[in-house]
Order: sequence, then C-alpha cells, then structure tokens
Amino acid sequence: MDALYAQRCFNCHGPSGRGDGPIAASLPVQPPDFRDTVQRKSNPQIKRLITAGKAVMPAFEPALSPSEINDMLQMVRFLSREGRDISWWENFDALVAAHCSIPWEVVLGYDEPTEEKQP
Amino acid sequence: MKVSGRSWFQGFGVLFLLIFASAAISAPARGPQQIPVQRRQVKIAIDNFILTDQSGKPFEFKHLNGKVVVAAFAYTTCPDVCPLITAAMRQVQINLSEAEKKRVQLITVTTDPEIDVPKVLAGYAKRYGAELDSWSFLTGDETTLKKVWKNFGVGVKRKARGLVDHTPLTAVVDQRGVLRFAYIGASPDKNLVLNDVRSLLAGR
Repeated sequence: MDALYAQRCFNCHGPSGRGDGPIAASLPVQPPDFRDTVQRKSNPQIKRLITAGKAVMPAFEPALSPSEINDMLQMVRFLSREGRDISWWENFDALVAAHCSIPWEVVLGYDEPTEEKQP
Repeated sequence: MKVSGRSWFQGFGVLFLLIFASAAISAPARGPQQIPVQRRQVKIAIDNFILTDQSGKPFEFKHLNGKVVVAAFAYTTCPDVCPLITAAMRQVQINLSEAEKKRVQLITVTTDPEIDVPKVLAGYAKRYGAELDSWSFLTGDETTLKKVWKNFGVGVKRKARGLVDHTPLTAVVDQRGVLRFAYIGASPDKNLVLNDVRSLLAGR
C-alpha cells in the first residue's frame, strides 16, 4: 500500500499528505492538505477523485484495479489523521512483516523447546 | 589486455553518453522538478505518421505542414514529470494570440497506449482546460507510436500498468516538419518556447 502511494501520489501530496511533495511547488494548482479535505469527504467522494482525477491530478481508472484504488483510499484516510506520515506506515509495515515471520508458537510463548534433562 | 590512452578516452566518452541518456530517459521517482530543462537546437526531419486523436479521429502529421508544431510526450497517469510538461504546454497555449493559434498546433503524444485510449485522453485534455482547436492528444498502436517516439528521440520503458519511464521531451517543429528545438526536462519555460515558436513564425 505504501509503495503504491510512494509511486503514484508522493510527488504531489508529500510524505504526510499535506500537499508538500517534491513537485508540488511547480504545479499550477497547489495539492490540498489531506487533514482539511480528506477528513471532510466520504469514501465514495474520495474514490471518485482517485478514479476520475481532478485538474492536474491523474485519473487512476482504468490503470489501477479496484483493490488498488481501495488501498489508495485507505492510505489517504490514514495520512489525513494528524501526525501520520508515510515513514510511520513504512515502519509499521516492517513491524508486521517481522512479527509475521516469527512462528506464532514463539510469539505466544507456547511450546518453547524443552531443554534436555541432564541425567 | 592493453588499453591505449586514446581508446580509454573514447570509452569514457561513450560511457558518459550512456549515463547521460539513461538519466534523461528515466525520470527519478522523487524531485523531477529539480532536473534543469535543457534546450537544444537540432535539425531532425519528422516522418509523416497517422495516429488517433482524443475524439477517436485519425490525425495525420503531414496535414500540419505550414504550421509550427509544439509536441510533448506524456501519459495521463504519470505521477512526476508529465503534469508539469502538460501544464507548461497549457501556458504556451494560453499565451499565444488568436492569430498565432491559427498558425501553431500543439500535440501531446502518449507514451502509454495501453491506458491512454481516446476517451482517457479526452478526460485528460478537459482537466487541463486544453483548447482542442489548436491542441490534439494522440494515441495509436504501439508499432506506430514506437516509430514516432524514435523519430523524436524519446525513450520509453514500461515499468508497470500505468507507470512508464520516458524522456521528458517537449519539442518545436518548424513549418516544413523539421524538429528544430528540443527541451528535455519537466518544466520548459513557456517564454523560451514562445520565443522559439515566434522566431519560426517570423521565418527566422
């Protein structure tokens, strides 16, 4: 999900969705701050913007699949919350990956390898 | 293997060109506005081609004979250089007088025909407020487009669905179909492009 945002949205919307991406200042229209716009919009409204585009923002339909557009929607919702940014998400992703790679028995403390009893 | 100083120097030159060309083709994921736009004066004859415009009608390049053509290469889902290139094209169009608009044609040629069918291009044109009397958005089959890209010197590399690396080229073609000015970079200065267009209109 974060890779999708980094590839398709980051340049304009920036790391925390405040409209401060690397090309934002060169655009004829300033990208909005998600904390103002996304917070006020419903999911169907945001999805419509992502699929149909607006002004210089690309229309991501039909290039992206419905599930990718859903992922994008979740990401902009996440970034619209105060204090969130893409690097936080990247850390979170790594945390999930790390935990998922550990056998659940070890995480929960069950079935720890029994030490061989000394005779 | 013994390498003479001269051949080492030539080898270094080729390597430098390769690095330069690959840097131009591949727009970086972050900070494309930081690439300074390069303006080059060239003389490359553009062969006739037939593509399809945003309304689904055939568009033949040779019918533009006698007009100055401003050509840009972009695709509609581009997340870095293309919004800047297309915005610059719009600025060029806005700043042309009504008389000049009759003698100048803008074209945007897609670098992603998989996604950019005429209907998608029509939506893109509308979002940028393009005046379609003097600006056409072109697509076509990949074989024809590859010839056009090559003729203009545009490298195109598909990375994923709706994600393409390409040379960020805006070009000015004279009234006889010869590419005269090439601007490589994200935001060509509209005044520079307008000056070059006007110098061709004045027959200079």
